[in-house]
Parts: sequence; C-alpha cells; structure tokens
Amino acid sequence: MIRLEKVTWQHGPSAGRERETLANISFAVPQGGFRWLLGPSGAGKSSLLRLLHLEALPRSGTCELLGTSITPHVKRSALARLRQRISMVHQDYRLMPTLSIADNVGLPLRLQKRDEDEVAQEVSTLLTWMGLGARQSSCPAELSGGEQQRTAIARAVVSRPAIILADEPTNALDEAQAVRVLTMLRELTAMGTTVIVATHNDALVRRYPAPALHLEHGKLIGDE
Amino acid sequence: MSSRKQARDGLALAHALPDRSLIAMVAAMSLLAALTFAGAFGARELSARWARGAANLMTVQVPDPEKPAIVPSDSAAASRADAVLSLLQTLPSLRRAHRLDTQELDRLLAPWLGNTGTSALPLPAVVEVDLTSGATLPDTFVTTVQSEAPGTLIERNDDWREQLHAIARSLLVCAALAITLVGGIAAAVIGMATRLGLGARRDSLIILHGLGAPDGYVAGRFARRVALLAFGGGALGTILAVLPIAVVSRLMAPLSGAAVSHETWPSLLRDSLHSLTIGGTSTDLLIGLGCIPLIMTILGWGTAQTIVRIWLRRLP
Repeated sequence: MIRLEKVTWQHGPSAGRERETLANISFAVPQGGFRWLLGPSGAGKSSLLRLLHLEALPRSGTCELLGTSITPHVKRSALARLRQRISMVHQDYRLMPTLSIADNVGLPLRLQKRDEDEVAQEVSTLLTWMGLGARQSSCPAELSGGEQQRTAIARAVVSRPAIILADEPTNALDEAQAVRVLTMLRELTAMGTTVIVATHNDALVRRYPAPALHLEHGKLIGDE
Repeated sequence: MSSRKQARDGLALAHALPDRSLIAMVAAMSLLAALTFAGAFGARELSARWARGAANLMTVQVPDPEKPAIVPSDSAAASRADAVLSLLQTLPSLRRAHRLDTQELDRLLAPWLGNTGTSALPLPAVVEVDLTSGATLPDTFVTTVQSEAPGTLIERNDDWREQLHAIARSLLVCAALAITLVGGIAAAVIGMATRLGLGARRDSLIILHGLGAPDGYVAGRFARRVALLAFGGGALGTILAVLPIAVVSRLMAPLSGAAVSHETWPSLLRDSLHSLTIGGTSTDLLIGLGCIPLIMTILGWGTAQTIVRIWLRRLP
C-alpha cells in the first residue's frame, strides 16, 4: 500500500530561492486500490509520481511504500529492491534506444534474474496482446509515439509489480487503445496491484469512475 | 545464459567506453611499470651479487710489479709483486691470495677496454685476497707493504659493500615510488574513461536505476568491462617491455660475471630472446612481470567500481 503523511518535497534551488514543489501531502491508497491523479499542468502530479517511484526522497513527513518507511537512511539496496516492485510509465516513455522492443519489455524481468525462456514467453504474450507482436525486434526509434507508449506500458506491467504509476499513459494512444490499456490497469488492481494514473483526459476519467487525488500548486486539495 | 542477460540491458559498454584509448594508455603505463620493475630488480640482483662476492675480499694493486722490492722482507722475493704476495702469506686470517694472470686481467677489463688485450698497458699487478670472515689487518701491515712496494693500493671491499647496499636500497625506493606514480596515473586514466562511459550512458543508467537495478549490478557491468580492457592493456605493455628488458639484461651480463660478447645487434637480439626461452632469465623477474597485467586488471576493476558507485550516489 501507499501512505503519505504531511510529505514535503522541494525541488532544487530556483531563481535564487528554493521552490517548494509538494507541500503537506497526505493520503493513503490500499493494496489493489486505483486512483486518478488530477490537476492542471504544473500542479505537481509528475513530482508526486517521481516521489512515489523513489526518484526523489521526501524532505519531511512520513512516506510508506509497500510496508517500507522511506527515509534518507534507507539502504540503497532496499530502495533498489523496492523499485523492482514499483513500475512507472513516464510521459517520455524512457525506452532503451539500443534495445529491441522485446528486450526493452523484458528488462525488468532480466533484472530480477528470471529464466530466459520465461522472459521470452512473457514478453511475447504481452507484446502480442498490446498489438506489438510484429514489432518485437524493432528499435524504439522505428516506432510511432503510440507504439512507444504501449511498449512503455508493457514494460511497466510485465513483472506484475505491486504498484504501477502512470504519467499520462494514454496521451499518444487512440481512444480504443486507451480504453484497452485502462481496462488492463483496472484488471490488475483486482489482482492486488495498486495503480495511480495521472491524466488530463476527462473523458477517460468519466468513463472509469474511481477515487481521485486533486493537486493544485503542489498541494492536495481533494482526495475523493 | 547469464552473459546474454547482461548483454541485453541497454548499456552496450563495448560502444560506450573508449576501448582503444584505454588499452593504449594502460599498455603505456604497464610498459613503464615493467621497465621500472626490471631496472629495480636488476639493480638489487647486481648489488646482492657484488655484495656477496665482496664480503671477505680484499683487492691489492701493486704498481710497477716487476721492479725489485725496496726493502725485501724475504730474500727470495725479487719483485715488488712477489714481495707483497709474501707479506700476504704471513697474514693469520688469509684463506687465499691469488695474483690475476694476463687472461684474467683481460677478462676483468673487457667491459671497459673491449677484447683488444691489456698487454701493451702498464697495468699494476692485481691480487685477490680472500680473508676469513670478520678478519682485520694488523696495524703495521699497510706500512710494511708500502715500504716494500710504494704506491700499493689495498682495498677492503667491505668498505663499499654498505655503500652498494645503500645505493640499491635507494634505487628500490625510487622504483617503488615510480611504480606507485605509474599506478596512480593508470587509475586516473581508467577513472576518466569510466566517467566518459557513464556520461555516454547517462540516460540508460537512469532508466536502469528506475527499473530497480542495484548499484552493484551497474558497477559490476562497468568494472568487468574496464577490467577486461585493463588486462588487455597490461598484457600488451608487459609483452612490449620484455624485449628491451631481455636486451638490457644481456648487455649487463658481464657486470654480473657472465662472459658474453655480441658483435652485432641481430645476434644480441637473438641471444636475448634465446635467454628468455631457455630459462636464462630470473624466474622472480618473470613472475613479477606476469603480475603487471593482473595488477592492472585489479586496478581497473576497483577504480571502475568506485567511480560508478560514486556516480550512482547522485541518484536516490
């Protein structure tokens, strides 16, 4: 599960003074919970997701992820193990340019030292389901934006993580593909995966009603 | 299977690290280290050999050896050389006194005068005296010798044995400092190459870190690649150093008592290489040289591990 209490996170110094990005954030998402993360651009949605993905550590407050309290004193090896259980879909996809689509998607499994046959099987099945079965050996640069986004989503779900964080995961997808991806994410929650999706897509939010976290100017103004 | 896994993590270190430059720089450092080590080793061996031989030896040089002795102590001794030999025979601590003949003198002076012979030169008689261990000369001995053969030079080799040791020790310290410096420069070069590789793969490293790759995994990937390149450079540098070391060893052979002469460079090279293959080179020296690639490997591995782990500390 995810539990934040009065968490503050400050970005680096900006224009001579420190800019507070997130302030006094408190919320909890149970195991298998789904939350929309809503708010205007610059509200701090990506920052909150980065915090939950352990790309940054909170300056103050309590942050608990999957039963581990995140403090500056947590061992780096423990953070690495935790990251293997938390997947993130970035807006810029963050695919390895030198690897094929199949190898990109199989990367989390290989880092977990899974058997190579198992990796090949899982990756092939998932890519086929995502409509990328014929592009498995292509490089990211050869794919369209939508295909790259689907690859990033496939990489995020392939290892069956405990938490999936998605930053605008459907902005390059057509409506049918977006619905397909959201359906999959909702199904994963039924299997115990906690999912937080940041989006500007109001239609999608209306189509899949779920509790939402509303951010504005780095503050949580609604948890409904 | 595991090597395939490692090769498919997107780091592609074969293209990220400056392979050829790194190998060349490490090879240059290894060449310097090998030459320095061999020089120090040779100096130590020569010093030890000379010191061993000099421990109880005394050299007596009698000028104008064939002239009659001035105040002969022994009526049978007609020449100054014979007079000095007779006096030496009276020493209670004497083991052996041997006057070098013409051939022995020629051989002794060959490194300086070549093989032209010394018969035309007005050389003194040289007497090698072997004394019992810890022996001292009677107080009046030198005066007596001088009175019979003026200008006779008596050299106790003990006197300069300590100086030889001191010189050898200084050379070893200098060599150790030079090798340490070379090692430091090699580590700096390896560190810079590793940082170049980290810079080239910055985005991939951030992705891997985000996917949960432990620091040890990333550091291990870099360290194994850098260690392999460092081993290649170390081996190349050491191999390149072997020939000059062998040639210098052969050239220095007469200083350690071996009778070696070379007419031409080809024969010198041939003999040098031959001495390597037939075991004419010290095993300790060869073992020491063989350690250089291994030391470079360890240095490369350790440096890469350190640099990568420090770099990864930027990421939480």
